[in-house]
Amino acid sequence: MARSPDPQAMAPSRPGSTRTAPPALPADFWSRPRMRTYLLFDATGIVYLLVGLVALRVAWALAAGPDAWQALMRSFANPLYVLFHSIALVAAIFVGIRFFRLFPKAQPARIGPAKPPPRPLLHAMLYAAWGAVTLALLVVLGGVWP
Amino acid sequence: MKALLLRLEPMIWLLFGLGIMVGTLLLPGYLLTVALGAPLGLLPERALSFERAHLIFSNPLGRLLLLGIIALPLWKGAHHTRSLCVDLLGHASDALVGSLLYALALAGSIAALIAVLSIR
Repeated sequence: MARSPDPQAMAPSRPGSTRTAPPALPADFWSRPRMRTYLLFDATGIVYLLVGLVALRVAWALAAGPDAWQALMRSFANPLYVLFHSIALVAAIFVGIRFFRLFPKAQPARIGPAKPPPRPLLHAMLYAAWGAVTLALLVVLGGVWP
Repeated sequence: MKALLLRLEPMIWLLFGLGIMVGTLLLPGYLLTVALGAPLGLLPERALSFERAHLIFSNPLGRLLLLGIIALPLWKGAHHTRSLCVDLLGHASDALVGSLLYALALAGSIAALIAVLSIR
């Protein structure tokens, strides 16, 4: 049986001579734009969690029948739901912009014999995929086709 | 608990990665149609009538799409919320908070699977 992973496995055997800042949140983090954006990016997790839980209602309503579906659509028209889904839309766009900018930088130099495409090209490909998926969903779920 | 989370780390990162990538690709289209467009009457009435929505989400691709829209944001959300808690509260409660959040994501994913398979 495999041993349990040791949380300190990657720690150096002796403390190094380089001083590092303590891993604590500075009291003035709200006044630091980079830290604020970083925390905001993490905070989109709360919105995503709620979006997933609310989307569960969509599947249950479809399984339950036409009356449940109509009731769901009426409840989604409630201003609180509209506000929440609008915030979720802004959060998803924010995550996309930030993550798709980060993603090309996080690629390994090569995977076996293959090299990833140049960063600007990879960035453009992610936006193209995002646009294509969104357009496809708008066309199908928006009633344009089929 | 912490040791278990470390052991599950590769699986958690896989689901988190799928959540942030595929979840973010899917969410704007879902939010603009099912969550906002249809309820606010911005789409043609037949676009997401029960019959049409049922037709779309009862075929295998539609079920997979709906499962992705529900489950993937849950994993992205759980991991980033855990990360936010570490940033704001420190590591002391990380094992408990992380376990609860991943348990919520797992329960939600199982419920989503049952729900999409229940669409007849």
